[in-house]
Amino acid sequence: MNSGSIIPVLNLLAAGAEEGHASAGPVAHGPWWVALIVVLPMLGAMLCGAAAALKVRSKLPAFLTVGLLGASCALAVSMYLELAGGRSITVSYRWIDFAWGTGEGQRLVANFGFYIDSLTCLWMLFVTGLATLIALYASEYMSHDQGVGYCRFFAAFNLFVFSMACLVMGDNLLLLYLGWEGVGLCSYLLIGYFYKRPAAVAAAKKAFIVNRIGDLALALGTMLAFVHFGSVEYAVIFAKAQPYIEAIKSGHLDQVPFVVQVIPLLFMVGAFGKSAQLPLYVWLPDAMEGPTPVSALIHAATMVTAGVYLIARTYPIFLCSEYALPVVAWVGALTALLAATIGMAQFDIKRIMAYSTVSQLGYMFAGLAFLSSAGAAYHVFTHAFFKATLFLCCGAVMHGFAGQLDLRKLSGVAFMKGWGIVGLAMLIGCLNLAGVPFTAGFFSKDMILAESFVTMGPGYQVLGWVLLLTAGLTAYYTFRVFFRVFVGPKTFEPGDELHAHDDHGHDAHGHDSRGDAHAEAEHGPAGHAAPGHGHDFHPHAPGWAINLVLLILAAASIAAALPYFMGEHGGWVPKLVHESSATTISDGHGSTAAFLASGLHEPGASAHGTLFGQDPHKIMYYVSGAIGAVGIAIAFVLHYAGRKTAGTSRADALVPALGPVAGWARRKWLVDELYDALVRTPLWVLSHVFHLIDKLLIDGLVNLFGWLPRAAAQRLRPTQGGDLHGYAAGMAVGLGAVLILVWMLIL
Amino acid sequence: MSTLGEVNLSSYLPLMVVVLMAATFAAINIVGTLLIGPKRPGKTKGLTYESGMNPVGTARKRFNVRFYLIAMVFLVFDVEIVFLYPWAATYPNLAMSDPDRVIWFWRILFFLFTTVVAYVYGYRKGVFRFD
Amino acid sequence: MIERLSLLYPEIVLFLGACLVMVIGLSPKREVRSLCGFASAGSLLIAGLLAINTSAGNTTPLPGLLPYVKAILAGVGLLLVLLLSGVVDRRDEEEIAAGRRAFSAMRSNRAEFHAFFLFSLMGAMLCATADDLIWLFLALELTSLPTYVMVAVSTRGTRAQEAGVKYFFLGALGAGIFLYGFALLYGGTGSTNLAQIARELARQGAAGDINPIAMAGLMLAVVGVSFKIAAVPMHFYTPDVYQGAAAPVSAMLAFVPKTAGFVTILTLVSCAGWSYGFVDGRDVYGAGFALPAELRIALWVIAALTMTVGNVMAVLQTSIKRMLGYSSVAHSGYMLVGVLAGAAAGEESGYSFAQSGVAAVLFYLLVYGVGNLGAFAVLASMERRNPDGELVEADEFGDVRGLCRSSPLAGWTMVLSALSLLGLPPLLGFFGKFGLFSAGIAAGDYALVVILGLNSAIAAFYYLRLVAVSLLDEPQGSTYAPTTILARPLAGAVSALGVIVLIAFAEPLMQAATKAGRVAPMTLGVSPEGVRRAQTTELPEPGTGDRGAPSGAPAPEGEHDGAGH
Repeated sequence: MNSGSIIPVLNLLAAGAEEGHASAGPVAHGPWWVALIVVLPMLGAMLCGAAAALKVRSKLPAFLTVGLLGASCALAVSMYLELAGGRSITVSYRWIDFAWGTGEGQRLVANFGFYIDSLTCLWMLFVTGLATLIALYASEYMSHDQGVGYCRFFAAFNLFVFSMACLVMGDNLLLLYLGWEGVGLCSYLLIGYFYKRPAAVAAAKKAFIVNRIGDLALALGTMLAFVHFGSVEYAVIFAKAQPYIEAIKSGHLDQVPFVVQVIPLLFMVGAFGKSAQLPLYVWLPDAMEGPTPVSALIHAATMVTAGVYLIARTYPIFLCSEYALPVVAWVGALTALLAATIGMAQFDIKRIMAYSTVSQLGYMFAGLAFLSSAGAAYHVFTHAFFKATLFLCCGAVMHGFAGQLDLRKLSGVAFMKGWGIVGLAMLIGCLNLAGVPFTAGFFSKDMILAESFVTMGPGYQVLGWVLLLTAGLTAYYTFRVFFRVFVGPKTFEPGDELHAHDDHGHDAHGHDSRGDAHAEAEHGPAGHAAPGHGHDFHPHAPGWAINLVLLILAAASIAAALPYFMGEHGGWVPKLVHESSATTISDGHGSTAAFLASGLHEPGASAHGTLFGQDPHKIMYYVSGAIGAVGIAIAFVLHYAGRKTAGTSRADALVPALGPVAGWARRKWLVDELYDALVRTPLWVLSHVFHLIDKLLIDGLVNLFGWLPRAAAQRLRPTQGGDLHGYAAGMAVGLGAVLILVWMLIL
Repeated sequence: MSTLGEVNLSSYLPLMVVVLMAATFAAINIVGTLLIGPKRPGKTKGLTYESGMNPVGTARKRFNVRFYLIAMVFLVFDVEIVFLYPWAATYPNLAMSDPDRVIWFWRILFFLFTTVVAYVYGYRKGVFRFD
Repeated sequence: MIERLSLLYPEIVLFLGACLVMVIGLSPKREVRSLCGFASAGSLLIAGLLAINTSAGNTTPLPGLLPYVKAILAGVGLLLVLLLSGVVDRRDEEEIAAGRRAFSAMRSNRAEFHAFFLFSLMGAMLCATADDLIWLFLALELTSLPTYVMVAVSTRGTRAQEAGVKYFFLGALGAGIFLYGFALLYGGTGSTNLAQIARELARQGAAGDINPIAMAGLMLAVVGVSFKIAAVPMHFYTPDVYQGAAAPVSAMLAFVPKTAGFVTILTLVSCAGWSYGFVDGRDVYGAGFALPAELRIALWVIAALTMTVGNVMAVLQTSIKRMLGYSSVAHSGYMLVGVLAGAAAGEESGYSFAQSGVAAVLFYLLVYGVGNLGAFAVLASMERRNPDGELVEADEFGDVRGLCRSSPLAGWTMVLSALSLLGLPPLLGFFGKFGLFSAGIAAGDYALVVILGLNSAIAAFYYLRLVAVSLLDEPQGSTYAPTTILARPLAGAVSALGVIVLIAFAEPLMQAATKAGRVAPMTLGVSPEGVRRAQTTELPEPGTGDRGAPSGAPAPEGEHDGAGH
């Protein structure tokens, strides 16, 4: 701790502070104001907190949030313009600078600094942009809850954007970890926003606890990175990882230490937790208990892509590992398939969207693993827009129909009065998600799909087929929702939340039985109230804010296809990625990857796989387009053609034919039950064992140590009787004792 | 008496003068009080002088705290004299040009200042009031 | 000579202040008398400012000591002046103000009280300036003698007098012990000058063994001075005296003599230890401890016992003052860990706060002074009138029950002070303890660090009890009311604020402590060859080579040459 401190001296916003040992590469000093992108949401969180304290009952917090996040977004845009393809680091505040020696790796530096490259810009652009729009949407959506709850919502919302910005912009792993935990906390707070509902609280806890597993791995990875590289700063780590990459390039995989292989594996587990991949995906569907804007922003568009960001950001380390990317590939592809199959069998439209998020995240991970970091990033980008659109449409439906989300109880919504824009936006979102040709989702998904046949050689083509199959399933379940809910005969049954719209008190299991009971009920197209609800119910169509946001987002979802045509190498997003640390392009296609050099296939042989004897890059448009069309067609036949009521469709006839499989899929392949048996029950037993140990042994020890000083003091007490002679004698004896003791010990 | 003759007796002359003056002063005082002082003999007055204490009786006896005060004031001035003598004896030995001379001078002034403070303190405390 | 005199400017200012206070405190005019406190504070302020600007220029092995020590003495002294207001003469002055009685100089204690306070501080400062054993002794006694009187007059009634008498007699015994030690030290080294003693001890040590007389003197001196810091086995007086004296005076006892004592111990130990690991830039014993084994063992045992006894006894107390007294003992034990760890031998590079035990002790003195003052200030600012009409301070745990609710300022002062004394992060106390821990670890004295940790846990018990009683309990049935002397809660509030605000300045303070605790490199003027010759001639004698402790064993010839650390 020589020059450094345990009390960092406050030099907030020290413009362009020099950083002597961040030595790597052409890293410039960034402009000071990028810190504002982070600071403004924090300011918003504080103001909303203050508003809560002042018991503000207006929409002030919402507009405050929209304003500040909008400013943040504008700054992000100007950050992108300023950057112009380079890299920069802005150190705003010297946070931790702690040295315990002068040697290598004996100084921990973690500044409140921002590592700005094109990858950062990409993420910040859509994070702040979407956050602004969704805050606007939420201003109306949450309006029933105006008051302290409203303030609380927007405070957490702002805090989330702050944390996400820290995560994305931080120039070191520690700041990333801070943001990582911060978004986790905000996710927890917002899922449990309706804290009076047990299901929401349980979901919040589930999300938090499952995430802890990933977080632990990330923390361990960070520590290990510090131990090995002697720093947590990206610039230093990347510089020190470079020799390993060079070594692999020249075929010397054995020169990469084992530790370096382990670090990306740990990061990977962290990413699986945050981005809801196998086996840690279980929290995300339950997280839909939160308010819909939260589901849209946090659990669809931004936070869940943090795992993708983490891998993309630390790509140089991943390239050093023999196993990390193959594992990511398998996990991503299998998650995509599994989630898609579950999504096919669900009835809750929001939950279907949640599973589709898990599934699409699987695509992104697969894309990263197939060395198509560009494709992954592009898919993150397009997915953010169309998935936000889809969620907000679902939210609008939920808002308007008193919390009704069961696709068997809603039909023809798009044709009802005032719901046109919702229907249109939903259609655009569904087209994107299904990967219909010339939509943004189509292009981004195809980049990954094509690469999955290209990169890894024949052994991994099975993953390509899995992903292709998933694309078909995706098209099916997406349009299942659309055909059931938004078109067809106009009928509905409202949810049970006539006053608190979003307070939908259902959970996965209770839902099915109730749904079946009501499924036969016929409702007039004018929307009579369901039996059991004491008065007439009229769905209320969304207001201007929701419609405006939906329109903008739908437009953005379409426009997200445009970057594909801007520039070479697949467009604008890949250009951004290749200008950042996540690039793969400088080394040719994947020739640097450790697992390729490890002999999974011959490096000398053609690294390009084929599909139907053609280069997948060329043929994939047709193949995936066709598969998507098949999926949509099946959905059309099963769920639209000839459907007379909301509750039944031709698909019902097929269910018995599938036997128990349909039931299993509806029950999410019993994964929750499996985890319960494998993890929770043993832990529960163990906890009781430990409780006993704690009570008997530990408490006993603690009590002993509490008792010891007292007992000793009771013995010593007579020496303090207040007698002057006694004291003097004590001093003399003590002096003698010390002298004799020393004398004895010396001799 | 040859040895005595070698000693320069004249150097002892001032000493003799002091002794003579002391004796004379004492004699004049005694004789003067005998002549002009009032005479009121009494039992207490006839006792042996023990600084005001009764010389006969128990020794474990409380006496006026003023005795201590007087003793302490005496100490202050007595110690002052003790310090002044060596200073006075060595100071002239320093050459006029010696820079230490000034410091020595200020030192004794500082010391005298402390005794003055002690005196003022004693005075304010009422040590010199015998009522 | 004038330059040497400039080191003493703070003391001179304090002396002049004391003279002034002594005179104006006896003025028949009430207004003039009431200026006493202001005059004390003013002189302390000036002394502190002068101290900060004093250049470190002493010739002792710890040359940097004086600016830092004098500055913290003046700083905490300023708070003590606030706290000490109204300790003496309060009832008399009230009666005089009411016109019931005339002023009597003989009955008044105010002048002496404040002057003695300044004298005591001056003595403590002189300890830091001392470069000679005789000076050191006089300075130590100048620190202590006024406190005996201050204890005795601090409250009316027999308890304070009993405390004063006990303190005086035991203090005299302690002084006798260390004076004897000083005499033996002189006998064993032939000098009373500390720098020369250090050189002589280093020469003896480098040549084989230290003169037993000098070593015995050193031990006696250290154990004797333990009285000032209230360390075992000289700690017996602590609880009785702290309880008997008024809380403000106890607060002073816990800081001023303790600081003087630690400065003395550091100075003495620095003459024997640490620095002479490096003689003429050559590592004599190998890196690490250079304390003579005897001193090391003695300090180790004293440190371990002191913290354990202090903490263990504090657990049982029902009187807060007694508890704080015992905790004062314990804190001395903590600081002795720093003394034992010492300073990493006099190299300039790599010299940091975390490695310097001396710096840790010096910093901890300030931390402890501030925290402790807050706790005593709370006691001093709660009072009730007993049946005789005398005002009695709060003392029992029950007296501060629910203080945070009944009088929030005092309550929170208590909470913050107790938590800081406990060393709870992020309060100031934590940084103090951090220094001691890290110095202990840097010195490799793990066993003692473990004992320190265990003791901190025990300390948590009674400090948290204090916190819990004042913060969590309901106020009930307390007959105590806030005092009318506003300066006391003010002093408490300032110190409570200090344990928070000073966190922001912990860095520069630590740097200052590090600078103050720097040991001057030792030069014997003997070439390494000369030392080695001396070693080889002395070594064959039996009994000199087999010292048990890691520090003491003189190295075989040549083993440490080139062993660069």
